[in-house]
Amino acid sequence: MSVSYIPVQWNGFKHRYNLALALAVGLYLWIFVELGPALLGHASPITPPIHNARAFGSCAFLMMSVILMIGPLARLDGRFLPLLYNRRHFGVMTALVALSHFLFVFNWYFVFTPLPSWEALLFSNTAYDRALGFPFEAFGMFALLALLILAATSHDFWLSFLTPRIWKSLHYLIYPAYAAVVAHVTLGAAQGVRGLAFPALVWALALLVAGLHLAAWRKERGAAAAMGEWVPVCRPEEIEEGRARVVRLAGGERAAVFRHEGRFSAISNACAHQNGPLGEGRVVDGCVTCPWHGFQYRVDDGCSPAPFTEKVPTYRLRLRAGLIEIDARANPPGTPVQPLEAPR
Amino acid sequence: MRARDEFFIGFFPIPPGLRPFLAAIAAALILLFAVAGWFAASTQAAPDEAGFRFDFGRQEVTGVLSLHPYPVIRVTEGSERLAAGRTVMLSGGGKFAPPQVAALDRRLVKAGGVILRRGDLDMLQIGGGERNLSAAEGDAPALSPPERLGRWRLEGEICDGKCAAGAMRPGRGLSHKACANLCITGGVPAVFVSAAPIEGATFLLMAGPEGGPLPPEALAFTAAYVSVEGEIERIGDLLVFRIDPATLRAL
Repeated sequence: MSVSYIPVQWNGFKHRYNLALALAVGLYLWIFVELGPALLGHASPITPPIHNARAFGSCAFLMMSVILMIGPLARLDGRFLPLLYNRRHFGVMTALVALSHFLFVFNWYFVFTPLPSWEALLFSNTAYDRALGFPFEAFGMFALLALLILAATSHDFWLSFLTPRIWKSLHYLIYPAYAAVVAHVTLGAAQGVRGLAFPALVWALALLVAGLHLAAWRKERGAAAAMGEWVPVCRPEEIEEGRARVVRLAGGERAAVFRHEGRFSAISNACAHQNGPLGEGRVVDGCVTCPWHGFQYRVDDGCSPAPFTEKVPTYRLRLRAGLIEIDARANPPGTPVQPLEAPR
Repeated sequence: MRARDEFFIGFFPIPPGLRPFLAAIAAALILLFAVAGWFAASTQAAPDEAGFRFDFGRQEVTGVLSLHPYPVIRVTEGSERLAAGRTVMLSGGGKFAPPQVAALDRRLVKAGGVILRRGDLDMLQIGGGERNLSAAEGDAPALSPPERLGRWRLEGEICDGKCAAGAMRPGRGLSHKACANLCITGGVPAVFVSAAPIEGATFLLMAGPEGGPLPPEALAFTAAYVSVEGEIERIGDLLVFRIDPATLRAL
């Protein structure tokens, strides 16, 4: 959390996260470019720019796949949540690796030509009417453009400038970009390798990404939205101290009912930062703390502690027949609500 | 505080209970990338032995230049590596035809450059300037006429002769299609890489039905495995495949 825009709010965890990533990516590229050909005994090596393009391209695909697994894994098992915390650095690094792939391709295949390089890239193959020989470069260009847009707008300045709703919608571009990369690899690089192992790996990763999203969606779908002005939540003893129970309300909204020091309060389940699931967070130092990036809100009024200014809607609670009930009509963000006393 | 002991908040120290899990995840991530790097590297097909033969040194030959369908020289006075009687395809630098050739069609010329070689496919890359290509003294000698070998239906791949000869490794396949098109439209000789040898040759110089360059519609079929029919003729030791583009089929 910050009250001003700082290029990167470094901390020890981010340093260790990025170090592990850099090691993983460096190892992949070194094995692909240096160790692999040496151990495989290629008598006539692949031309270096082509080899580098393949190494960086395949690495970028693997990175995108892992990035897209983090979200559903964190929903299925909260221990993966720390991977989500610094995911934007992972994304920026992926965009740089993908850009390197593009530059190797562009500065090798599309230079020293009778056409200007950009014209050559766009128009040297126009066989859009066939699968074999389809200009797969178009898929790659779309994906790279999307990755660069996402990387460029990953900073919280853009989140605030665009508003979380538009920013979030923009960043859903990662899904069509990933689909485009699968098509790019399937119609391009996968056609030039030995056997079916490489295309099989590509599709296995893509199916794993899709499967994890499906599993997370099935878990989150949960019970149907409750109707009415006052909606039953659960018995008080079912909520652990410092934790929440999430309830779906009419209209698709979700509210999180927290227990803090034996009393109950309800706020919106959507963090004002990136719509993170506040109900999966904890109450720390009297504040609901988002499990994604640590944004905090006081339990009784939904306001971030000073000097921060974020606010989320609050809800009224009542006790009826031993059940906590929530008023489905949300209060404006930052509205104080008297916590519900736990029954003795 | 118990909550903080179990719950990750980025700007606080990692909760002790999560540290072993996160260490294992970091190790697994690094291992995953290492294994994937090896796996992906092992799927890369080793290219054929091919490429620029700078080790042969500069080759200088004299012969009759022909620009149809693409620039070739029918060697009358050979070099150490390109003997008299050979018909050798020519290219310029990059994805270009040899420079300054238009005025020299069907004339006796001196040409010098570097060989690209893959199997029985030779190409001579020549640079600009008179040192590399110029008219030779004397008239072009009479050469043997093309020998017609009849109509054939071949299966294989259309690609540019320069990358196929080793300017790129690999210089074939669908991921190389755009580059092949650029080379061919730039005037680099197009070749057909036959799935089975024809009269002992795997690489055939390609031509359109009237003996000119490859027709534009053929570019949609480059780099893919195709079948195509056409007339084959032998010019010197080089087979020329004059295709009927209407018979092109992707297989």
